Amino acid sequence: MTTTEASRDVVFAEIAGMLRTVLAELGVDDVEIDEGTSFNEDLELESIDLVTLTALISERWGEPVNLAEFLADKDLDEVIALKVGDLVDFVVTALARAGG
Amino acid sequence: MPDVAIVGMSVLLPGAPDLQTYWRNLVTGVDAITDVPEHRWDPAYYDPAGSARADRLYCRRGGFVDEYADVDPTRFGIMPNSVAGAEPDQLIAMRVAASAIADAGGDDRMPARDRIGVILGRGGYLTPGVVRLDQRVRTAVQLVRTLGELVPGIGDAELERVRAAFTEQLGPEQPESAIGLVPNLAASRVANRLDLRGPAYTVDAACASSLIAVDHAVHELTSGRCDVVLAGGVHHCHDITFWSVFTQLRALSTSQRIRPFHRDADGILIGEGTGVVVLKRLADAERDGDRIYAVVRGTGVASDGRSASLFNPDPGGQVLAVRKAWAAAGLDPSEDGSVGLLEAHGTATPAGDAAELSTLATVFGGPKRRHAVIGSVKSMIGHTMPAAGIAGLVKAALAVHHGVLLPTLHCDDPNPALAATRFRPIDTAEAWTDTVRRAGVNAFGFGGINAHVVLEQAPAPKPAPATITVTEPAKVLRIAANTPDELLRRLKDGRNHEVGRLRLAIVEPTPKKTALAEKVIAKGVPWRGRSNVWFSPEPLLRGNAGIAFVFPGLEADFDPRVDDVADHFGLIRRTVGNGDLGRHGMSVLGVGRLLDGALRRMGIVPTALAGHSIGEWTAMSVSGMFSDRAVEDQLAAFDPTSVEVPGVEFATIGCGVDRVAAAIADRPDIVLSHDNSPNQTIVCGPPDEIAELVAEFRKGAVISQVLPFRSGFHTPMLKPFLEPFVELADRLDMGRPALPIWSATTASPYPTDPDGIRDLYIRHLIEPVRFRATVRAMHESGIRVFVQVGAGQLGSLIDDTLKGADHLTVAANSTHRGGVEQLRLVAAALWVEGASPDFSVVEPTRQPVTLQLGSPLVSVDTTISTGPSRLDTLTADFPIAAELEALLRETAESAAQVMAARQRPSVRSLTKRMTISTDVMPFLLDHCFAPQREGWPDLADRRPVVPGTTLIQLMMDAAEEAAPGLKAVRVHDVKLLRWLIGAPATDVTITAEPIGPDRVRVAVGDHSQATVELTPDWAPRPQSAWSVAASARSTPDMTAREFYERRVMFHGPALQGITALTSVGTHHVSGVITTPDVPGGLLDNVGQLLGYWIWVTQTEKRIAFPVQMGRIEFFGPHPAPGTPVDCLIKVVDVSERLYQVDAQLTVNGVVWAEITDWRDRRFDSHMDLDEAWRFPERNALSQRQPGGWVAVAERWPDLASRELYLSKYLSGRERACYDQLPPRNRRHWLLGRIAVKDAVRNLLWDNGSGPVFPAEVLVSDTADGRVTVAGNNGFPLPEVSVSLAHKDELGVAIARFGRAPVSIAIDAPSTDGRRRAVVSNPADLPARQYVVAWTAGPADQEDE
Repeated sequence: MTTTEASRDVVFAEIAGMLRTVLAELGVDDVEIDEGTSFNEDLELESIDLVTLTALISERWGEPVNLAEFLADKDLDEVIALKVGDLVDFVVTALARAGG
Repeated sequence: MPDVAIVGMSVLLPGAPDLQTYWRNLVTGVDAITDVPEHRWDPAYYDPAGSARADRLYCRRGGFVDEYADVDPTRFGIMPNSVAGAEPDQLIAMRVAASAIADAGGDDRMPARDRIGVILGRGGYLTPGVVRLDQRVRTAVQLVRTLGELVPGIGDAELERVRAAFTEQLGPEQPESAIGLVPNLAASRVANRLDLRGPAYTVDAACASSLIAVDHAVHELTSGRCDVVLAGGVHHCHDITFWSVFTQLRALSTSQRIRPFHRDADGILIGEGTGVVVLKRLADAERDGDRIYAVVRGTGVASDGRSASLFNPDPGGQVLAVRKAWAAAGLDPSEDGSVGLLEAHGTATPAGDAAELSTLATVFGGPKRRHAVIGSVKSMIGHTMPAAGIAGLVKAALAVHHGVLLPTLHCDDPNPALAATRFRPIDTAEAWTDTVRRAGVNAFGFGGINAHVVLEQAPAPKPAPATITVTEPAKVLRIAANTPDELLRRLKDGRNHEVGRLRLAIVEPTPKKTALAEKVIAKGVPWRGRSNVWFSPEPLLRGNAGIAFVFPGLEADFDPRVDDVADHFGLIRRTVGNGDLGRHGMSVLGVGRLLDGALRRMGIVPTALAGHSIGEWTAMSVSGMFSDRAVEDQLAAFDPTSVEVPGVEFATIGCGVDRVAAAIADRPDIVLSHDNSPNQTIVCGPPDEIAELVAEFRKGAVISQVLPFRSGFHTPMLKPFLEPFVELADRLDMGRPALPIWSATTASPYPTDPDGIRDLYIRHLIEPVRFRATVRAMHESGIRVFVQVGAGQLGSLIDDTLKGADHLTVAANSTHRGGVEQLRLVAAALWVEGASPDFSVVEPTRQPVTLQLGSPLVSVDTTISTGPSRLDTLTADFPIAAELEALLRETAESAAQVMAARQRPSVRSLTKRMTISTDVMPFLLDHCFAPQREGWPDLADRRPVVPGTTLIQLMMDAAEEAAPGLKAVRVHDVKLLRWLIGAPATDVTITAEPIGPDRVRVAVGDHSQATVELTPDWAPRPQSAWSVAASARSTPDMTAREFYERRVMFHGPALQGITALTSVGTHHVSGVITTPDVPGGLLDNVGQLLGYWIWVTQTEKRIAFPVQMGRIEFFGPHPAPGTPVDCLIKVVDVSERLYQVDAQLTVNGVVWAEITDWRDRRFDSHMDLDEAWRFPERNALSQRQPGGWVAVAERWPDLASRELYLSKYLSGRERACYDQLPPRNRRHWLLGRIAVKDAVRNLLWDNGSGPVFPAEVLVSDTADGRVTVAGNNGFPLPEVSVSLAHKDELGVAIARFGRAPVSIAIDAPSTDGRRRAVVSNPADLPARQYVVAWTAGPADQEDE
């Protein structure tokens, strides 16, 4: 896979879908998710939700995309400031590295 | 110059009672201009078509703050009734200054008081207070002078009546508040009430005043004379004279619109307002970590000098002022991008706008590559005159801080002169994306005085927002219905409807949230909180479903928001810190307890408690397992540094326990410490091994994190460090919890016996936390709602564990919103599930007094007699006839008065009998000296006593009965002589005997007597309510609720009238009494309030009851039940025997009653006995002794005091024995009974028993001189052998289970082989030692 804009859009859409799963949306679509959406402030995700998200990401993309290691390098403030776009960047980059 | 930071701000401006609203209005462009309210000036003045005259106004629109102009005087220690006499702007300045300080972080962040100054801009105009004085002393006299001149027939008496009727409309004269009219008090009152001891003064430079105040403040700071200065401006003058001036100058807008920099701007509209900023040197603010709105880079002040006109602005002076400010900032204003926002003076007069634009073109130069925004808040609020500069400065500082360029209204067709500048007006807010956000603020005053301030963003500014939003306080929409359709229909109405099975709550409803709610209702599935919408098709709280409070333990991110909660509910603020482990733990505990208190006040009450890790301790502390006081005291003594286990670390692993167990199977040094949830487990072990494990898990895409604590809790590693915890447990006397507490060690509720609790408390420290299993077990037991009582993420573990199971988890605190706001969400969430929280208590509470900002024309409520008199025809020829007529009128008036007095009803003698019982007076059950077990059959054992103040009421009633038509207005020489007990029922004789035309001597049997004075009317009310100097006042250490909960007073609900403790000092105490529906109940609460003062200030002889009162005077009818009454008690004298006080009771600032020389007799008591006095069912008067016996010292030498303790200990049968004893034997007999009862009770408590009241243990004598004990009234007492002895001031007793005899003796010959010990009298009794001998029991064998 290459990091074209198209694949970036796909990654974003998949991540947004996973976030909706984590948020247990029950089919009522109320959360607006874009690349600027913050995990903490906007979605009010807690650490345990990141655990679930990590599992979903591993399930989808396998070993090359390890959110646990990505988060390991961040301090608390950085995790709090994390936005959906950051995660998309990370996934896209990790996939590129794996592919390239 | 050194930079100065704005660290706090507040305003009261048209449309904006506070800073937050002001910001919202600024962003959204709210036009706050309205017609003048009638009471500001009379509508008759408005006459746009009339001829030009000083009292004919062509404009009536402006900016007004009437709807927000109130203050809560008690907050500032001002008596509510003195508000009317004070100049309103002073009180507003005080309120705004206090809010500004609060905004800067509150008093705690202020430096020493002598380093704080206050400088306010204020003009010397005819403000309402001055006008009211003028009306009283000049207009009133002018009126009657003119009237007398025009109508010669009016006599002096008639004129005086007119004058009095006129001045009466102005309210009572208040000589003591005359000082309040001195203009500089706007600043001085702030300094006085807020205790600021630096310079405090007002400056008057017309419309430039506020910015000149800021300039002064900057100098005070940069010269180092002050460390904080409050600067701002005050203007609340819409007097007709003020409007007249601007009318005559034709400065008011003829189109009645204020349109700064519009091509057709035609004049100002007058506004009003107050603003205050808190200024501090930037370096200090950075050092202290203050929130910095903006930095004042430079200030400049200059005058026009000799120029064309005093009234027409001159660009020369303006240019000079602006240049000086930029020079002070060290910046070149003409540079491109030097300024992003210019808050102009912008008066919207043609001359004013032209001069200002010319100035701006001169200083900043013509159009540049980068445009800047020009604006003026006057387009929204009018011209606030001396406060104009501060309104603009606060606006600019907010713009700089938030990174938002703010709009100006009504400038659709800009002034062509703008083309020569770099500035443009905007009509909607825009993000301010300059790298350095810098603003200039203008304020130019009449007479040619000019000021300018340069503001710049803080060194670490907030980024400019991507979207501009402002928040409103949350409001909760609650709708219930029985069918989804009905619910949808009601949702469309958008109004609260609280009855129905299906429930929906929306916090801060918006169309978007409403649309979401509609979708959710249609789906029919529960929706629990996302987007602040709650919906439950089938409420969880039905049948036996329960609510659990779950208290968090330590979490890495600890940022609770609870100060507002403490302030809102009047609870003690908790220090929050996580600097070290111990302090972090204490903070977690404190926050949990605070929120627990707040939730309970909202009517949210748990059915079970649990905690995560040390949260279990919080659960224990709120469970009633130990008293609040014990927790406070013991934790205060706990050394936080003692809880660190070296060489271990925790790590959170983001997966279930099984996977973790497998991974650590071959790592013996790592142990499981927390099984938190299916996706979270915590382990503990040596740092290097933990790091290895974490890396391994991360590699497998499992989020893992090392935690920043090293406590080693919940692992065997803590074992060597257990001692301080064991000691703590020893100090905390553990009782039976009032609610089940779930142990996460056993995943089941705690045992109820003290030993069991203690064992588990230790196991909890060294065994893993099984939170997952506990949550499951709680859910299985019927808990459906889990309230996380604290900050953090504990709730997410519960959700993770109960995924898919019916439940609600909600956090009582969140970093995402204010503390009170979050509690409102909790209320919404629980309401939806079927609970009934009290939403009203989370609404803002204040007790404001509305300020009268106007000085309307006075309408006189009387007429003068102008009808023809037979003397009238003569007056022309005989002037004396007029005087004669007036004289006749006066005479008739006096005669009528005299005759009315003659018709007074007569006073007679009266004797009546009355039955006193708990049936006749059910409230006596709430006035019992001796608490007993619920359902205790012997009412007499409770000692229900008629309150002394009820006796006073009975005496007043009898006096009024003896003198029909008269009111009891004063009660003299009250003596309360003997307790009157209401069980068993008893009859008393009440007698009333006239001793003068208006006096009756009354007695209730031999229990009480007094003289009651009666008159047809109430005496005039005293002019003023008492006050206490602010310096003498301190904040009570408990709330009214705690006052009763801790049984500081023994009164039950019917008599619990104190609803607020407001102030206490060495010689006073004050509070609010909500009038109870009990005869004499209001005055009884005066005694209770005194009880609080005694509790706080005295260390001995704290038990006191009223025995005597010099005089009680009433100035009006008794307040209706439920009326809040302010009570201030002044302590006159404290002697060995008596407390002597005076008291005043006021209703809404009006004096209702005064009590002079109230005397409470002090009874012997001692701090050591305090707990047993208040909670005899859980505490003993005796002390436990090593070896398993008890000793009690007689701390009640006099009979009356002995009677009090006796009534707490003896049952009716025992009391009868006591009464039959020869008096000399009674004392020791009682000591022996107390000791035995305590020995038995201790034995029971040691074996897990709950509360045992002394009367439940019946002590009897046998024929052979031994004592035996038995359970009284069905109390299940196992077989116990006892023995007692007494000598001098000592009583001792021993108790053991079983039949085997035991014995105890004092100073017995030392030949019998019993164990012995020496005990001494306590220091406050005669120095004496005793040798006590007792038979060894199981306790001794353990010792040996």
